[in-house]
Amino acid sequence: MTNSAVTDKETFKSDADLNELTPPRWLSGTALLTLSLAVIPFGYLLVRATSNGFSAVLDVVFRTRTVETFFNTLFLALFVGLLALVLGTVSAWIIQRTDIYFPRYFLVLATLPLAIPSYVLTYTWIALIPSFSGFFAAVLILTLTTTPYVTLAALAVLRRIDNNQEESARALGFSTAAVARKIIWPQARPTILASLLLVVLYVFSDFGAVSLLRVDTFTRVIHTMYKASFDRTAAAVIAIALVLLAVLIIWLERKLRGRQVSSRTGLGTAKQVPVIKIGQYKWAAMLFLGLLAVGSIGVPIWTLLTRFFANDVVIDSASLVSSTLATLVASFSGAVVAMSLALPLGVLLARYQSKISRVSEFSILLTHALPGVVIGLALVAIGSKIPVLYQSLPLLAFSYAVLFLAKAVGSIRTSVARVPKVLDDVSRSLGLTNLETLKRITLPLAAPGVLTGFLLVLLTAMKELPATLMLRPTGYETLATEIWAATNISRYSEAAPYALVLIVIAAIPTYLLSRPDRAGSADTQENMSL
Amino acid sequence: MTRLSIDGLTVTYAKRPVLNELSLTIPSGAFAAVLGPSGCGKTTLLRAIAGFISPFSGAIRFDDNLVSISSIVVPPERRKVGYVAQEGALFPHLSVYENIAFGLKTENKSETVSEMLELIGMQKFAKRMPAELSGGQQTRVALARSLATKPSVMLLDEPFSALDAALRDELRSEVVALLKAAKTTTLMVTHDREEALVSADLVALMRRGQIVQVGSPAEVYRNPISPEIAISTGDVLVLDAAQSSTGEFSFALNQKPRSANSVLGKVIIRPEEINISSNTTAGVLATIAKIDYYGHDAVIHLSVAGSPDQLIDARVPAPVDFEVGQAVGLEHVGPVRWFPNPT
Repeated sequence: MTNSAVTDKETFKSDADLNELTPPRWLSGTALLTLSLAVIPFGYLLVRATSNGFSAVLDVVFRTRTVETFFNTLFLALFVGLLALVLGTVSAWIIQRTDIYFPRYFLVLATLPLAIPSYVLTYTWIALIPSFSGFFAAVLILTLTTTPYVTLAALAVLRRIDNNQEESARALGFSTAAVARKIIWPQARPTILASLLLVVLYVFSDFGAVSLLRVDTFTRVIHTMYKASFDRTAAAVIAIALVLLAVLIIWLERKLRGRQVSSRTGLGTAKQVPVIKIGQYKWAAMLFLGLLAVGSIGVPIWTLLTRFFANDVVIDSASLVSSTLATLVASFSGAVVAMSLALPLGVLLARYQSKISRVSEFSILLTHALPGVVIGLALVAIGSKIPVLYQSLPLLAFSYAVLFLAKAVGSIRTSVARVPKVLDDVSRSLGLTNLETLKRITLPLAAPGVLTGFLLVLLTAMKELPATLMLRPTGYETLATEIWAATNISRYSEAAPYALVLIVIAAIPTYLLSRPDRAGSADTQENMSL
Repeated sequence: MTRLSIDGLTVTYAKRPVLNELSLTIPSGAFAAVLGPSGCGKTTLLRAIAGFISPFSGAIRFDDNLVSISSIVVPPERRKVGYVAQEGALFPHLSVYENIAFGLKTENKSETVSEMLELIGMQKFAKRMPAELSGGQQTRVALARSLATKPSVMLLDEPFSALDAALRDELRSEVVALLKAAKTTTLMVTHDREEALVSADLVALMRRGQIVQVGSPAEVYRNPISPEIAISTGDVLVLDAAQSSTGEFSFALNQKPRSANSVLGKVIIRPEEINISSNTTAGVLATIAKIDYYGHDAVIHLSVAGSPDQLIDARVPAPVDFEVGQAVGLEHVGPVRWFPNPT
């Protein structure tokens, strides 16, 4: 009977995947609206880039400078990606599985760099070593900045993998190394690759560090062209090239990631994993983690504090307060807009498999590939045609929302997907509509994860530099722009108070996100990488 | 009090049918059980009736009202079905009271909720959260939550499978009594044959997306339509047999001689339809190979003399006065269910 193949499939594919009802109109409608808003910047760039004809596009693409920039960006991403991968997984393994002293403190130290923007890290290194610049300086800075992404992802995987599997494998005669290779790695691969993708996209979109270190990557070149403002079309072409490169990398990662496998097969709770005794090596392991922390936290904190107390600078407390408020207002409204735009998309992707969800997935991927400089470029041009929006706070908030849409959608999607579908079904059978069910069942249960996603977007928006520089209202100075203005003219001491305040307020959500006991944070750690 | 009729229902997944032209009618107020192995599509059937999925073709009617025709469906919230899922699926963020009140829109909410709590005997648990309840209590609350909205059709998706054996029997009879008293048309899907036979008025046997036999529990047990289906309602012995031109059957338990031009086929016998006696001259001679003792009864594995490959299992009530290796006489004391081999 041909039917038996189908019914077999049904037993391990849950019934919920079968012939789902099509999403309700209000949901697909709002999702489509959100999507069309989110792809506006990219659409504009595409139109702008091709406005002088295709040969003009090729002209820009094959300039020597463009080719150089391409290789600079690519090699930078390659070096940083590999280093972050190794350093991050080793850190996670040491923290989670070995008997080092104070693992909890090392965990905080390993995640704290997330609160320090790359441009602050860069300028503190330059303040310490004035000759610090160039390609390898950028490799060092960006590696220190991005390693926590890999560390957090690897930590989440190590916590999640069921120890029973490891024990069974050991019982079957596999060595520790073989267990790592055959049991842990296949399950860890999707998450680790996803975090690696995040690192590469970070390098592609980083603007502050490469600008201060004078490395010509795409973002710096685009910004220079924008500043010089003589060749907006060429800037658009290069921006498109960068986006396409990013899309290619995202696609490659999807291919390599393979099937997501469920890590827990049994129903029982995961047991506490016994630590591995590494004896004398624990000092080397702690030194390793310590050195990373010195480079990524020690240097900036030390430099900022010494500069701050050096008495050679008058602190403008009024501007410090106003820029702190400006940062909070801008990032908070950005996070609110991002989460509201992401809500219909996240729910749609978590609950329905339809044509719209495939389109959504692709479009979200596209926004994920848009660096801040590129969004800035597009929205400046669009804003300049609509006077109400030009250099307005809503436009800035919208730029954050587009920039961090992928993060926001990812967190909503994961937390909604974790709410068992059967609860929705029961609610519907009790007479509640789709929308009422969403309000009374799905969202309340998904709330912790959604809140964590909100914190994540908030944190990232606080540190955002290039889009803020390009889109803020005239005279609207955030902590990021104040730091940038001072460091750009080498007034490192002047920047110190702003940087300290930024790090302190950014450290709060970072701390909340890194706590493993916090509901939803494990999801987010994996999900930071979408 | 609603008649449920399903007519030619086909649900496809990846273009292959999971339900294949399925038809079934449940009279108003009846308690029906759909019994089938996992993967036969029974949960899909339930979800189609509840309105959670849209079928490819076919119709579902509540009395004479269409709720589903082809892929056009009435949304679940307008169907008035009660749905009790495996393990209850209580809303974890709501108390027992709030769970039961969830689907109620009327003003005398608290009155209905206390009625329901009394019905399930859990008046003292109103403020508890689902995580603080045992599995059986959760199932009870889930049932009360559905009953509170006075559904026209009640759907139960293996509601007792997660409970341990002792609790399961007790809760099952309690739930069945409740639903029958309320005269709610009920459809329960299960893979547990005992559960289906004990609780239902009407048992529908399901295989590969189709209902293959419907009847009262006694009927489907006694008169299976095929050897394959017989197994789904209880243990069976499938014996090679032959029917002579005069209509006489010959098989291992009667050892009548086969005539030359007889038709070959199978005979199906239930293990309790075999009489074992220590009198070796009564019926067919056999030797006891093994005894599985269950307490209230035992299954005795026998090898028939003359055909040592033919193992026969017989169920006998306790006390069991036989021992392994003993020679006994076997007599068949039931109907001969004859299925000629397909030619």
